[in-house]
Amino acid sequence: MTTLELTEDQRDCLQELSNIAMGQAGDSLARFLEVFVHLSVPKIQIVQTSQVSSSLKNISEPGLPVIVVGQSFYNAQGQKSLHGEAIVIYSESGADTLSNFLGDDESKPETDESLMDISNILISVCLNGLAEQLDTRLSFSAPTMIGKGISCNDVFNSGKLSWDNALLIEINYTFESTEMSCNLVLIMPDESVEGIIAKVNEILDEF
Amino acid sequence: MIEKLEDHKFLTRILNGINCGIVVIDKDINIHSWNGFMVSHSGLSEEQALGHCLFDLFEKIPRRWLTNKVQSVFMLKNFAFTSWEQRPYLFPFYHNRPATSIVDHMYQDCTFIPLFNQENNVEYVCITIQDVTDTAIYQILLQQTKEEIERQSKTDGLTQLYNRSHWEECLRREVSRVERYEGELTIIMMDLDHFKSINDRLGHLAGDEVIRESTRILRDCLRNSDIGGRYGGEEFGVILPETDIDGALVTAERIRQAIETSDIVFNNKAIKVTASLGIAMYDVAGISCDQLIDRADQALYQAKHAGRNCIRAFE
Repeated sequence: MTTLELTEDQRDCLQELSNIAMGQAGDSLARFLEVFVHLSVPKIQIVQTSQVSSSLKNISEPGLPVIVVGQSFYNAQGQKSLHGEAIVIYSESGADTLSNFLGDDESKPETDESLMDISNILISVCLNGLAEQLDTRLSFSAPTMIGKGISCNDVFNSGKLSWDNALLIEINYTFESTEMSCNLVLIMPDESVEGIIAKVNEILDEF
Repeated sequence: MIEKLEDHKFLTRILNGINCGIVVIDKDINIHSWNGFMVSHSGLSEEQALGHCLFDLFEKIPRRWLTNKVQSVFMLKNFAFTSWEQRPYLFPFYHNRPATSIVDHMYQDCTFIPLFNQENNVEYVCITIQDVTDTAIYQILLQQTKEEIERQSKTDGLTQLYNRSHWEECLRREVSRVERYEGELTIIMMDLDHFKSINDRLGHLAGDEVIRESTRILRDCLRNSDIGGRYGGEEFGVILPETDIDGALVTAERIRQAIETSDIVFNNKAIKVTASLGIAMYDVAGISCDQLIDRADQALYQAKHAGRNCIRAFE
Protein backbone atom coordinates (compact mmCIF):
# COMPACT_ATOMS: atom_id res chain seq x y z
CA MET A 1 0.00 0.00 0.00
CA THR A 2 1.36 3.38 -0.99
CA THR A 3 0.46 6.47 0.92
CA LEU A 4 -0.33 9.46 -1.23
CA GLU A 5 0.23 12.95 0.03
CA LEU A 6 -0.27 16.43 -1.35
CA THR A 7 2.60 18.92 -1.38
CA GLU A 8 1.81 22.36 -0.06
CA ASP A 9 1.64 23.77 -3.60
CA GLN A 10 -0.65 21.01 -4.77
CA ARG A 11 -2.95 21.51 -1.82
CA ASP A 12 -3.11 25.27 -2.30
CA CYS A 13 -3.85 24.85 -5.98
CA LEU A 14 -6.59 22.28 -5.40
CA GLN A 15 -8.06 24.42 -2.64
CA GLU A 16 -8.13 27.45 -4.92
CA LEU A 17 -9.77 25.49 -7.77
CA SER A 18 -12.36 24.11 -5.35
CA ASN A 19 -13.08 27.56 -3.93
CA ILE A 20 -13.78 28.91 -7.42
CA ALA A 21 -15.96 25.91 -8.21
CA MET A 22 -17.99 26.29 -5.01
CA GLY A 23 -18.46 29.99 -5.63
CA GLN A 24 -20.01 29.19 -8.98
CA ALA A 25 -22.03 26.36 -7.50
CA GLY A 26 -23.51 28.66 -4.83
CA ASP A 27 -24.43 31.12 -7.53
CA SER A 28 -26.19 28.50 -9.70
CA LEU A 29 -28.05 27.12 -6.70
CA ALA A 30 -29.23 30.55 -5.62
CA ARG A 31 -30.59 31.26 -9.10
CA PHE A 32 -32.27 27.91 -9.43
CA LEU A 33 -33.73 27.54 -5.93
CA GLU A 34 -34.32 31.26 -5.47
CA VAL A 35 -32.79 31.21 -2.03
CA PHE A 36 -29.32 32.25 -0.99
CA VAL A 37 -27.12 29.22 -0.41
CA HIS A 38 -23.88 29.58 1.47
CA LEU A 39 -21.22 27.00 0.69
CA SER A 40 -18.39 26.56 3.16
CA VAL A 41 -14.77 26.59 2.07
CA PRO A 42 -14.18 22.99 0.99
CA LYS A 43 -12.15 20.93 3.40
CA ILE A 44 -9.71 18.87 1.38
CA GLN A 45 -7.70 15.94 2.68
CA ILE A 46 -6.23 12.66 1.57
CA VAL A 47 -7.24 9.83 3.87
CA GLN A 48 -6.39 6.16 4.22
CA THR A 49 -9.13 3.57 4.48
CA SER A 50 -8.79 3.26 8.22
CA GLN A 51 -9.19 7.00 8.78
CA VAL A 52 -12.29 7.64 6.76
CA SER A 53 -14.78 7.14 9.59
CA SER A 54 -12.85 9.25 12.08
CA SER A 55 -12.27 11.96 9.47
CA LEU A 56 -15.99 12.31 9.04
CA LYS A 57 -16.83 11.96 12.70
CA ASN A 58 -17.57 15.63 13.18
CA ILE A 59 -19.97 15.86 10.30
CA SER A 60 -23.03 15.21 12.41
CA GLU A 61 -23.69 14.87 16.09
CA PRO A 62 -22.89 11.33 17.16
CA GLY A 63 -25.97 9.16 17.51
CA LEU A 64 -28.19 11.69 15.76
CA PRO A 65 -30.16 9.94 13.02
CA VAL A 66 -29.43 11.18 9.51
CA ILE A 67 -30.75 10.70 5.99
CA VAL A 68 -28.08 9.88 3.44
CA VAL A 69 -28.29 10.00 -0.35
CA GLY A 70 -25.42 8.82 -2.54
CA GLN A 71 -24.55 9.23 -6.20
CA SER A 72 -21.64 7.94 -8.28
CA PHE A 73 -19.88 10.06 -10.83
CA TYR A 74 -17.53 9.22 -13.68
CA ASN A 75 -15.23 11.08 -15.92
CA ALA A 76 -17.10 11.37 -19.22
CA GLN A 77 -13.86 11.66 -21.14
CA GLY A 78 -12.45 8.43 -19.82
CA GLN A 79 -9.57 10.05 -17.99
CA LYS A 80 -8.69 8.57 -14.68
CA SER A 81 -9.27 11.69 -12.67
CA LEU A 82 -12.51 12.57 -10.98
CA HIS A 83 -14.50 9.48 -10.40
CA GLY A 84 -15.96 8.42 -7.13
CA GLU A 85 -18.99 8.72 -4.93
CA ALA A 86 -20.76 11.77 -3.60
CA ILE A 87 -22.75 11.57 -0.40
CA VAL A 88 -25.16 14.14 0.99
CA ILE A 89 -26.00 13.95 4.68
CA TYR A 90 -29.16 15.59 6.00
CA SER A 91 -30.67 15.81 9.44
CA GLU A 92 -34.16 14.31 9.48
CA SER A 93 -35.92 17.65 9.96
CA GLY A 94 -33.66 19.31 7.43
CA ALA A 95 -34.61 16.86 4.73
CA ASP A 96 -38.25 17.90 5.03
CA THR A 97 -37.44 21.59 4.87
CA LEU A 98 -35.20 21.17 1.87
CA SER A 99 -37.74 19.19 -0.10
CA ASN A 100 -39.93 22.28 -0.05
CA PHE A 101 -37.47 24.20 -2.17
CA LEU A 102 -38.37 22.26 -5.26
CA GLY A 103 -41.43 23.22 -7.19
CA ASP A 104 -44.58 24.97 -6.06
CA ASP A 105 -47.40 23.29 -4.17
CA GLU A 106 -49.11 22.01 -7.26
CA SER A 107 -46.12 20.24 -8.74
CA LYS A 108 -44.39 19.40 -5.49
CA PRO A 109 -43.15 15.86 -5.74
CA GLU A 110 -43.27 13.39 -2.90
CA THR A 111 -40.58 14.00 -0.26
CA ASP A 112 -38.32 11.11 -1.23
CA GLU A 113 -38.36 12.12 -4.85
CA SER A 114 -37.64 15.76 -4.16
CA LEU A 115 -34.86 14.76 -1.79
CA MET A 116 -33.29 12.74 -4.61
CA ASP A 117 -33.74 15.70 -6.94
CA ILE A 118 -32.22 18.20 -4.57
CA SER A 119 -29.32 15.86 -3.76
CA ASN A 120 -28.66 15.40 -7.46
CA ILE A 121 -28.60 19.17 -7.90
CA LEU A 122 -26.38 19.87 -4.87
CA ILE A 123 -23.94 17.19 -5.98
CA SER A 124 -23.82 18.03 -9.66
CA VAL A 125 -23.37 21.78 -9.37
CA CYS A 126 -20.33 21.26 -7.15
CA LEU A 127 -18.83 18.48 -9.19
CA ASN A 128 -19.51 20.14 -12.54
CA GLY A 129 -17.75 23.23 -11.21
CA LEU A 130 -14.80 21.17 -10.06
CA ALA A 131 -14.70 19.29 -13.36
CA GLU A 132 -14.72 22.54 -15.27
CA GLN A 133 -11.75 23.81 -13.25
CA LEU A 134 -9.93 20.57 -13.99
CA ASP A 135 -10.87 20.91 -17.65
CA THR A 136 -12.96 17.79 -17.94
CA ARG A 137 -16.61 16.73 -17.93
CA LEU A 138 -18.54 14.27 -15.74
CA SER A 139 -21.33 11.75 -16.10
CA PHE A 140 -23.55 10.70 -13.22
CA SER A 141 -25.55 7.67 -12.28
CA ALA A 142 -28.92 7.99 -10.56
CA PRO A 143 -28.89 8.99 -6.89
CA THR A 144 -29.85 6.30 -4.42
CA MET A 145 -31.19 6.42 -0.88
CA ILE A 146 -28.39 4.99 1.27
CA GLY A 147 -30.35 5.12 4.48
CA LYS A 148 -32.96 6.90 6.55
CA GLY A 149 -32.71 7.32 10.27
CA ILE A 150 -29.26 5.75 10.30
CA SER A 151 -26.16 6.89 12.13
CA CYS A 152 -23.48 8.65 10.14
CA ASN A 153 -20.98 5.99 11.19
CA ASP A 154 -23.01 3.28 9.45
CA VAL A 155 -22.36 4.89 6.08
CA PHE A 156 -18.65 4.30 5.83
CA ASN A 157 -17.84 0.70 6.31
CA SER A 158 -14.07 0.86 6.48
CA GLY A 159 -13.75 -2.90 6.88
CA LYS A 160 -15.09 -3.45 3.39
CA LEU A 161 -13.67 -0.53 1.44
CA SER A 162 -11.56 -1.58 -1.51
CA TRP A 163 -9.21 1.38 -1.83
CA ASP A 164 -6.10 2.53 0.04
CA ASN A 165 -6.09 6.30 -0.35
CA ALA A 166 -8.89 8.64 -1.19
CA LEU A 167 -9.29 12.31 -1.74
CA LEU A 168 -11.98 13.52 0.62
CA ILE A 169 -13.69 16.85 0.05
CA GLU A 170 -16.28 18.10 2.55
CA ILE A 171 -18.58 21.00 1.86
CA ASN A 172 -21.28 22.40 4.10
CA TYR A 173 -24.36 24.07 2.62
CA THR A 174 -26.41 26.55 4.59
CA PHE A 175 -29.75 27.73 3.25
CA GLU A 176 -30.56 31.28 4.19
CA SER A 177 -33.78 31.95 6.13
CA THR A 178 -34.20 28.31 7.13
CA GLU A 179 -31.22 27.67 9.43
CA MET A 180 -31.08 24.46 7.45
CA SER A 181 -27.77 22.97 6.52
CA CYS A 182 -26.47 19.76 5.05
CA ASN A 183 -23.12 18.26 4.20
CA LEU A 184 -21.66 17.00 0.96
CA VAL A 185 -18.81 14.53 1.04
CA LEU A 186 -16.93 13.62 -2.13
CA ILE A 187 -14.80 10.49 -2.02
CA MET A 188 -12.46 9.82 -4.89
CA PRO A 189 -10.33 6.71 -4.46
CA ASP A 190 -6.80 5.69 -5.57
CA GLU A 191 -6.59 6.19 -9.34
CA SER A 192 -8.75 9.25 -9.12
CA VAL A 193 -6.37 10.86 -6.61
CA GLU A 194 -3.38 10.18 -8.87
CA GLY A 195 -5.27 11.62 -11.82
CA ILE A 196 -6.18 14.77 -9.93
CA ILE A 197 -2.64 15.23 -8.67
CA ALA A 198 -1.37 14.89 -12.26
CA LYS A 199 -3.87 17.48 -13.43
CA VAL A 200 -2.94 19.85 -10.60
CA ASN A 201 0.75 19.44 -11.54
CA GLU A 202 -0.07 20.42 -15.12
CA ILE A 203 -1.78 23.56 -13.91
CA LEU A 204 1.10 24.37 -11.56
CA ASP A 205 3.60 23.91 -14.42
CA GLU A 206 1.79 26.54 -16.45
CA PHE A 207 2.55 29.21 -13.89
CA MET B 1 -6.48 0.13 -38.96
CA ILE B 2 -10.03 0.09 -37.73
CA GLU B 3 -12.24 2.88 -38.95
CA LYS B 4 -14.38 4.62 -36.39
CA LEU B 5 -18.02 3.93 -36.99
CA GLU B 6 -19.48 7.33 -37.64
CA ASP B 7 -21.66 6.42 -40.56
CA HIS B 8 -24.94 8.14 -39.82
CA LYS B 9 -26.88 5.17 -41.20
CA PHE B 10 -25.39 2.79 -38.66
CA LEU B 11 -25.80 5.15 -35.75
CA THR B 12 -29.46 5.54 -36.65
CA ARG B 13 -29.84 1.77 -36.72
CA ILE B 14 -28.22 1.48 -33.32
CA LEU B 15 -30.47 4.24 -31.99
CA ASN B 16 -33.52 2.44 -33.31
CA GLY B 17 -32.43 -1.04 -32.32
CA ILE B 18 -31.40 -0.37 -28.74
CA ASN B 19 -33.80 -1.65 -26.09
CA CYS B 20 -34.08 1.69 -24.36
CA GLY B 21 -36.17 4.75 -25.11
CA ILE B 22 -34.29 7.78 -26.41
CA VAL B 23 -36.06 11.11 -26.78
CA VAL B 24 -34.41 14.46 -27.45
CA ILE B 25 -36.27 17.64 -26.53
CA ASP B 26 -35.55 21.36 -26.62
CA LYS B 27 -36.32 24.10 -24.07
CA ASP B 28 -39.99 24.17 -25.11
CA ILE B 29 -40.27 20.39 -24.66
CA ASN B 30 -40.61 19.88 -28.43
CA ILE B 31 -39.40 16.53 -29.69
CA HIS B 32 -36.28 16.38 -31.86
CA SER B 33 -35.51 12.69 -31.73
CA TRP B 34 -37.77 9.68 -31.18
CA ASN B 35 -36.18 6.25 -31.43
CA GLY B 36 -37.53 2.82 -32.32
CA PHE B 37 -38.23 1.86 -28.70
CA MET B 38 -40.48 4.92 -28.36
CA VAL B 39 -42.23 4.19 -31.66
CA SER B 40 -43.04 0.62 -30.76
CA HIS B 41 -44.21 1.35 -27.22
CA SER B 42 -46.14 4.56 -27.89
CA GLY B 43 -47.58 3.60 -31.27
CA LEU B 44 -46.52 7.03 -32.54
CA SER B 45 -44.27 7.03 -35.59
CA GLU B 46 -41.23 9.27 -35.85
CA GLU B 47 -43.19 11.60 -38.17
CA GLN B 48 -46.05 11.81 -35.69
CA ALA B 49 -43.69 12.70 -32.85
CA LEU B 50 -40.99 14.96 -34.28
CA GLY B 51 -41.61 18.66 -33.88
CA HIS B 52 -44.50 18.14 -31.49
CA CYS B 53 -44.60 19.18 -27.88
CA LEU B 54 -44.36 16.17 -25.58
CA PHE B 55 -47.32 17.42 -23.52
CA ASP B 56 -49.59 17.52 -26.57
CA LEU B 57 -48.86 13.88 -27.33
CA PHE B 58 -49.00 12.65 -23.71
CA GLU B 59 -51.51 14.65 -21.76
CA LYS B 60 -51.01 12.66 -18.59
CA ILE B 61 -47.36 13.59 -18.12
CA PRO B 62 -47.32 16.15 -15.27
CA ARG B 63 -46.48 19.35 -17.10
CA ARG B 64 -45.20 21.57 -14.30
CA TRP B 65 -43.06 18.87 -12.77
CA LEU B 66 -41.37 17.84 -16.03
CA THR B 67 -40.83 21.45 -17.07
CA ASN B 68 -39.03 22.13 -13.76
CA LYS B 69 -36.92 19.05 -14.19
CA VAL B 70 -35.89 19.87 -17.75
CA GLN B 71 -35.26 23.47 -16.79
CA SER B 72 -32.80 22.35 -14.13
CA VAL B 73 -30.81 20.50 -16.79
CA PHE B 74 -30.71 23.54 -19.10
CA MET B 75 -29.85 25.91 -16.29
CA LEU B 76 -27.46 23.89 -14.12
CA LYS B 77 -26.04 21.79 -16.98
CA ASN B 78 -26.52 18.74 -14.81
CA PHE B 79 -27.94 15.28 -15.27
CA ALA B 80 -31.37 14.60 -13.79
CA PHE B 81 -33.05 11.32 -12.93
CA THR B 82 -36.34 9.68 -12.13
CA SER B 83 -36.54 6.33 -10.39
CA TRP B 84 -39.45 3.88 -10.61
CA GLU B 85 -39.43 3.61 -6.83
CA GLN B 86 -40.67 7.18 -6.43
CA ARG B 87 -42.29 7.73 -9.81
CA PRO B 88 -43.27 4.45 -11.47
CA TYR B 89 -43.12 5.80 -15.02
CA LEU B 90 -42.74 8.88 -17.18
CA PHE B 91 -44.41 7.52 -20.30
CA PRO B 92 -47.63 5.56 -19.83
CA PHE B 93 -46.52 2.43 -21.69
CA TYR B 94 -47.85 -1.08 -21.49
CA HIS B 95 -45.21 -3.67 -20.58
CA ASN B 96 -44.51 -6.70 -22.71
CA ARG B 97 -45.26 -9.40 -20.21
CA PRO B 98 -48.99 -10.02 -20.51
CA ALA B 99 -48.55 -13.66 -19.52
CA THR B 100 -46.30 -13.41 -16.53
CA SER B 101 -46.75 -10.02 -15.02
CA ILE B 102 -48.63 -8.79 -11.98
CA VAL B 103 -48.48 -5.12 -12.97
CA ASP B 104 -50.35 -3.13 -15.58
CA HIS B 105 -47.75 -0.70 -16.88
CA MET B 106 -44.07 -0.49 -17.69
CA TYR B 107 -41.88 0.68 -14.82
CA GLN B 108 -39.22 3.12 -15.96
CA ASP B 109 -35.96 4.63 -14.80
CA CYS B 110 -35.23 7.80 -16.73
CA THR B 111 -32.05 9.82 -17.16
CA PHE B 112 -31.99 13.40 -18.45
CA ILE B 113 -28.68 14.12 -20.20
CA PRO B 114 -27.59 17.64 -21.16
CA LEU B 115 -26.49 17.97 -24.82
CA PHE B 116 -24.00 20.82 -25.20
CA ASN B 117 -23.43 23.00 -28.24
CA GLN B 118 -20.09 24.50 -29.29
CA GLU B 119 -20.52 27.42 -26.90
CA ASN B 120 -20.77 24.95 -24.03
CA ASN B 121 -24.43 25.73 -23.42
CA VAL B 122 -27.10 23.09 -23.15
CA GLU B 123 -29.02 23.06 -26.44
CA TYR B 124 -31.06 19.90 -26.01
CA VAL B 125 -31.91 17.43 -23.34
CA CYS B 126 -31.79 13.72 -24.11
CA ILE B 127 -34.14 11.55 -22.04
CA THR B 128 -33.33 7.84 -21.85
CA ILE B 129 -36.13 5.55 -20.72
CA GLN B 130 -35.15 2.19 -19.29
CA ASP B 131 -37.72 -0.56 -18.88
CA VAL B 132 -37.22 -1.81 -15.31
CA THR B 133 -40.50 -3.72 -15.01
CA ASP B 134 -38.66 -6.96 -14.11
CA THR B 135 -36.78 -5.31 -11.27
CA ALA B 136 -39.97 -3.65 -10.05
CA ILE B 137 -41.88 -6.95 -10.07
CA TYR B 138 -39.15 -8.71 -8.07
CA GLN B 139 -39.12 -5.86 -5.61
CA ILE B 140 -42.91 -5.87 -5.28
CA LEU B 141 -42.98 -9.66 -4.76
CA LEU B 142 -40.20 -9.38 -2.20
CA GLN B 143 -42.15 -6.69 -0.36
CA GLN B 144 -45.33 -8.81 -0.40
CA THR B 145 -43.38 -11.79 0.93
CA LYS B 146 -41.91 -9.66 3.70
CA GLU B 147 -45.38 -8.45 4.65
CA GLU B 148 -46.74 -12.00 4.63
CA ILE B 149 -43.90 -13.25 6.83
CA GLU B 150 -44.50 -10.36 9.19
CA ARG B 151 -48.22 -11.16 9.31
CA GLN B 152 -47.52 -14.83 9.96
CA SER B 153 -45.08 -14.04 12.74
CA LYS B 154 -47.90 -12.23 14.55
CA THR B 155 -50.64 -14.74 13.89
CA ASP B 156 -51.69 -17.99 15.52
CA GLY B 157 -52.05 -20.61 12.80
CA LEU B 158 -55.14 -22.44 14.08
CA THR B 159 -57.29 -19.42 14.94
CA GLN B 160 -55.74 -16.65 12.83
CA LEU B 161 -55.97 -14.50 15.97
CA TYR B 162 -52.86 -12.65 17.13
CA ASN B 163 -50.44 -15.02 18.82
CA ARG B 164 -49.42 -14.53 22.42
CA SER B 165 -46.27 -12.49 21.82
CA HIS B 166 -47.95 -10.06 19.46
CA TRP B 167 -51.03 -9.76 21.64
CA GLU B 168 -48.79 -8.91 24.61
CA GLU B 169 -47.01 -6.41 22.41
CA CYS B 170 -50.38 -4.76 21.68
CA LEU B 171 -51.18 -4.73 25.39
CA ARG B 172 -47.86 -3.08 26.21
CA ARG B 173 -48.69 -0.38 23.67
CA GLU B 174 -52.13 0.18 25.20
CA VAL B 175 -50.72 0.29 28.73
CA SER B 176 -48.19 2.95 27.78
CA ARG B 177 -50.94 4.86 25.97
CA VAL B 178 -53.12 5.12 29.10
CA GLU B 179 -50.04 5.86 31.20
CA ARG B 180 -49.26 8.83 29.00
CA TYR B 181 -52.63 10.18 27.94
CA GLU B 182 -54.88 8.67 30.62
CA GLY B 183 -58.14 7.02 29.61
CA GLU B 184 -59.47 3.55 30.37
CA LEU B 185 -58.23 0.08 29.61
CA THR B 186 -59.67 -3.29 30.57
CA ILE B 187 -58.70 -6.81 29.59
CA ILE B 188 -60.56 -10.12 29.62
CA MET B 189 -58.90 -13.51 29.97
CA MET B 190 -61.12 -16.38 28.83
CA ASP B 191 -60.61 -20.11 29.28
CA LEU B 192 -62.76 -22.88 27.80
CA ASP B 193 -64.16 -25.13 30.55
CA HIS B 194 -63.07 -28.76 30.74
CA PHE B 195 -61.28 -28.48 27.42
CA LYS B 196 -58.89 -31.29 28.28
CA SER B 197 -61.77 -33.74 28.57
CA ILE B 198 -63.00 -32.79 25.05
CA ASN B 199 -59.55 -33.65 23.72
CA ASP B 200 -59.44 -36.87 25.71
CA ARG B 201 -62.96 -38.04 24.84
CA LEU B 202 -63.30 -36.89 21.22
CA GLY B 203 -59.72 -36.50 20.01
CA HIS B 204 -57.51 -33.59 19.11
CA LEU B 205 -59.24 -32.86 15.82
CA ALA B 206 -62.47 -32.27 17.74
CA GLY B 207 -60.51 -30.09 20.16
CA ASP B 208 -59.13 -28.04 17.26
CA GLU B 209 -62.63 -27.56 15.90
CA VAL B 210 -63.83 -26.35 19.30
CA ILE B 211 -60.97 -23.83 19.45
CA ARG B 212 -61.73 -22.62 15.91
CA GLU B 213 -65.46 -22.26 16.53
CA SER B 214 -64.96 -20.55 19.89
CA THR B 215 -62.65 -18.08 18.14
CA ARG B 216 -65.33 -17.34 15.55
CA ILE B 217 -67.90 -16.74 18.30
CA LEU B 218 -65.45 -14.59 20.26
CA ARG B 219 -64.70 -12.50 17.15
CA ASP B 220 -68.39 -11.87 16.53
CA CYS B 221 -68.75 -10.48 20.06
CA LEU B 222 -65.90 -7.95 19.77
CA ARG B 223 -65.93 -4.36 18.56
CA ASN B 224 -63.45 -3.18 15.93
CA SER B 225 -61.24 -1.56 18.52
CA ASP B 226 -61.03 -4.68 20.73
CA ILE B 227 -57.95 -6.81 20.25
CA GLY B 228 -58.30 -10.56 20.63
CA GLY B 229 -55.44 -13.02 20.88
CA ARG B 230 -54.81 -16.69 21.57
CA TYR B 231 -52.93 -16.66 24.83
CA GLY B 232 -52.31 -20.37 25.23
CA GLY B 233 -53.95 -23.72 24.42
CA GLU B 234 -57.56 -22.94 25.25
CA GLU B 235 -56.97 -19.55 26.83
CA PHE B 236 -57.79 -16.31 25.04
CA GLY B 237 -57.10 -12.68 25.85
CA VAL B 238 -59.06 -9.60 24.81
CA ILE B 239 -57.85 -6.00 25.11
CA LEU B 240 -60.70 -3.50 25.47
CA PRO B 241 -59.39 0.04 24.99
CA GLU B 242 -61.47 2.91 26.39
CA THR B 243 -63.64 0.49 28.37
CA ASP B 244 -64.33 0.33 32.09
CA ILE B 245 -65.32 -2.71 34.20
CA ASP B 246 -69.04 -2.30 33.44
CA GLY B 247 -68.41 -2.15 29.72
CA ALA B 248 -66.14 -5.16 29.91
CA LEU B 249 -68.79 -7.08 31.91
CA VAL B 250 -71.29 -6.50 29.09
CA THR B 251 -68.86 -7.78 26.46
CA ALA B 252 -67.79 -10.72 28.63
CA GLU B 253 -71.41 -11.74 29.28
CA ARG B 254 -72.16 -11.56 25.55
CA ILE B 255 -69.21 -13.88 24.88
CA ARG B 256 -70.15 -16.27 27.69
CA GLN B 257 -73.76 -16.59 26.47
CA ALA B 258 -72.79 -16.94 22.81
CA ILE B 259 -70.45 -19.80 23.62
CA GLU B 260 -72.90 -21.50 25.99
CA THR B 261 -75.75 -21.41 23.44
CA SER B 262 -73.71 -22.39 20.41
CA ASP B 263 -73.72 -25.84 18.91
CA ILE B 264 -70.27 -26.84 17.79
CA VAL B 265 -70.62 -29.82 15.48
CA PHE B 266 -67.83 -32.27 14.80
CA ASN B 267 -68.35 -35.55 12.90
CA ASN B 268 -72.11 -35.03 13.15
CA LYS B 269 -71.85 -34.80 16.89
CA ALA B 270 -72.80 -31.64 18.79
CA ILE B 271 -70.24 -30.59 21.39
CA LYS B 272 -71.37 -28.42 24.29
CA VAL B 273 -68.83 -25.89 25.44
CA THR B 274 -68.80 -23.22 28.14
CA ALA B 275 -66.21 -20.64 29.10
CA SER B 276 -65.05 -18.86 32.24
CA LEU B 277 -63.91 -15.27 32.06
CA GLY B 278 -61.84 -12.98 34.28
CA ILE B 279 -61.71 -9.19 33.97
CA ALA B 280 -59.11 -6.67 35.17
CA MET B 281 -58.94 -2.95 34.65
CA TYR B 282 -55.90 -0.72 34.48
CA ASP B 283 -56.87 1.43 37.46
CA VAL B 284 -53.63 1.79 39.39
CA ALA B 285 -51.05 3.98 37.71
CA GLY B 286 -47.79 2.20 37.14
CA ILE B 287 -48.93 -1.42 37.10
CA SER B 288 -47.21 -3.41 34.43
CA CYS B 289 -48.58 -5.35 31.54
CA ASP B 290 -47.71 -8.62 33.32
CA GLN B 291 -49.44 -7.48 36.52
CA LEU B 292 -52.58 -6.64 34.57
CA ILE B 293 -52.62 -10.08 32.94
CA ASP B 294 -51.99 -11.65 36.33
CA ARG B 295 -54.99 -9.82 37.84
CA ALA B 296 -57.27 -10.96 35.03
CA ASP B 297 -55.92 -14.49 35.53
CA GLN B 298 -56.74 -14.33 39.25
CA ALA B 299 -60.29 -13.23 38.41
CA LEU B 300 -60.49 -16.07 35.88
CA TYR B 301 -59.39 -18.51 38.60
CA GLN B 302 -62.19 -17.22 40.85
CA ALA B 303 -64.70 -17.77 38.04
CA LYS B 304 -63.45 -21.35 37.67
CA HIS B 305 -63.65 -21.80 41.40
CA ALA B 306 -67.25 -20.45 41.46
CA GLY B 307 -68.37 -23.31 39.23
CA ARG B 308 -67.25 -22.23 35.71
CA ASN B 309 -69.41 -20.76 32.89
CA CYS B 310 -69.35 -17.40 34.68
CA ILE B 311 -67.50 -14.10 34.92
CA ARG B 312 -65.50 -12.50 37.74
CA ALA B 313 -63.79 -9.10 37.88
CA PHE B 314 -60.57 -8.50 39.83
CA GLU B 315 -61.18 -6.49 42.98
